[in-house]
Amino acid sequence: MVEAVARANPLVPELGKIIKIVDETPDVKTFHITTEKGKPFTPLPGQLAMLSILDVGEAMFSITSQGPEHLELAIKKVGMLTEALHEAEVGQTVGIRGPYGNGFPLEMLVGKDLLFIGGGIGLAPVRSLINYCAEHREQFGHMWIIYGARSPADLCFKEDLFQNWPRVPNCRVDVTVDKGDENWTGPEGFVPAFVEKLNPSPKGKIAVTCGPPIMIKFVLQSLEKLGFQDDQIITTLEMRMKCGIGKCGRCNLGSRYVCLDGPVFTLAQLKQLPNEY
Amino acid sequence: MSVPVMKVTEMKWPALSLLDKDGIAEFAENLAERYLVFGPVAKGSEYVFAPVGKGEVLELNYHTTILPPKKLLHQPFEVLFSFHEDGIQENIVEQPKQIIFGIHPCDVHAIQILDKAYSVEYEDPYYMNKRKNTLIIALNCSEPAETCFCQSLGTGPFLKDGYDLLLTDIGEAYLVEVGSEAGMELVEAVNLRPAARVALVEKQKVYENARRKFRKRLLTQGLHELLESNFRHPIWEKLKEECLACGSCTMVCPTCFCYNVVDKLDLSLKSGKRTREWDSCMLLEYAQVALGHNFRKDRDARVKQRIYHKLLYYEPQFGTLGCVGCGRCIKTCVKKIDITDVVSRIRGE
Repeated sequence: MVEAVARANPLVPELGKIIKIVDETPDVKTFHITTEKGKPFTPLPGQLAMLSILDVGEAMFSITSQGPEHLELAIKKVGMLTEALHEAEVGQTVGIRGPYGNGFPLEMLVGKDLLFIGGGIGLAPVRSLINYCAEHREQFGHMWIIYGARSPADLCFKEDLFQNWPRVPNCRVDVTVDKGDENWTGPEGFVPAFVEKLNPSPKGKIAVTCGPPIMIKFVLQSLEKLGFQDDQIITTLEMRMKCGIGKCGRCNLGSRYVCLDGPVFTLAQLKQLPNEY
Repeated sequence: MSVPVMKVTEMKWPALSLLDKDGIAEFAENLAERYLVFGPVAKGSEYVFAPVGKGEVLELNYHTTILPPKKLLHQPFEVLFSFHEDGIQENIVEQPKQIIFGIHPCDVHAIQILDKAYSVEYEDPYYMNKRKNTLIIALNCSEPAETCFCQSLGTGPFLKDGYDLLLTDIGEAYLVEVGSEAGMELVEAVNLRPAARVALVEKQKVYENARRKFRKRLLTQGLHELLESNFRHPIWEKLKEECLACGSCTMVCPTCFCYNVVDKLDLSLKSGKRTREWDSCMLLEYAQVALGHNFRKDRDARVKQRIYHKLLYYEPQFGTLGCVGCGRCIKTCVKKIDITDVVSRIRGE
């Protein structure tokens, strides 16, 4: 009964379960989710899912990765629903629906050198694209991942950052933290300044960035300083969303809805919208 | 004025009938036997859309209602589904056929906008379920209120389409025009007396007369360019101080469709409901995201979002302006913020 309803009514989620929980940082966990029929749906890199715990609420999250039978959502503890998720154990029933949003414009990225710039939990959506590019390595040029977090403990996806991605052919990874601890020997400082210091050339490159709004703001300035054009810069936006299907109005930005037309925009597209983000 | 003067002789359905004024109550009661009939009834010094036919007296001489008839299609509060330990039970019930009786042209236009908003890309099944079972008996406006400005937007005072039946007060009776098959059936069922075509001359007179009574206007010429280039106009700073961000303007707006979703747990703690309720871009929490960042923290940003969405963003989204000139937001605002005045002031008038 539930399945038939889920297809007909876009606001009714499918029921699934959390089958694995990975602790990423003190306040970020990655949840592996599946349903009775297997993977709830097959998203493109950068697409979104509405995840809910029935009786607590529902919110939109980026899908950071997927396997043949499950989806992975990396979630920071910031509010009521995410706190409930962080308290949940394997076996918890959840509601899930999607995929929503446009995802990254793969056709625009093919054949290009790619510069990924992430901050904190903002690496979650970018990671879906990094992994896609690593799996389809021959379709893309050089990959350069620049990532930062507040402290070494706050670095998400450490296994990817320090083991998996450095082994991807023709791929460079640079990691910074705002402030190190006694064991940290890597660079310190904020992401935008770090990007400027690394000085990537804009030639033949597309930059993909996601992080806290304040980081995105300054990274965009840094990229412009380095000579990146508006159509060479891609970012993903976060707005609160209640429906995911362009009705509830929450993610309205100018004549766009982030859930339908985004969350991925080029800077050129963003500049057409009112300067509110 | 860029809105062309309408010729009332353009008709899709040739049938013209007359409904005597003292026959209105009987007509409504007759309909109420087969439909849920909602129409304007008095509530204190104001009017509301309420069920008619059960003692409630239809007041067709109303100026405007407190809430627009959108409440009959997109309810202020609604259960989306209920959930319990075994799963989810959807809450789309069999919708009885309903008639919105005496709805003004501005509100009919607003419903046409909601139809687009709730069907583009994804269909909202809750809205569409009610909409598909709704007939519209519209009433042309012969007495625009002080706050009305539909004429500037081409959404009134008279209606061209979007109705099943259309009434016009031509003095001793209502002229009844048919706009659909369903409307034709309504007319045949109650046996109205046929009208001569000369009644259309009377209708034209009422129209010309109504057109002269408007006191407000919102000039749409060059509106896009005007708003696009005045995102930083000093008026927004002024409105930041004036607006109380109470959200009343959006609650009474016939084209506002935003909603919030809230899960409610039953007392058993084992089952509950996912519900939705009207939301407002005027409220502080509306554009707040995780970790507290707020895209529209200041009130000027929120006032601007409301006005820009109506007058600038709707058109690329739904192919029409988002304001129908019903004047409810002007009437309801305790600080007397007036969308027509905001636009005139940006124009430097």
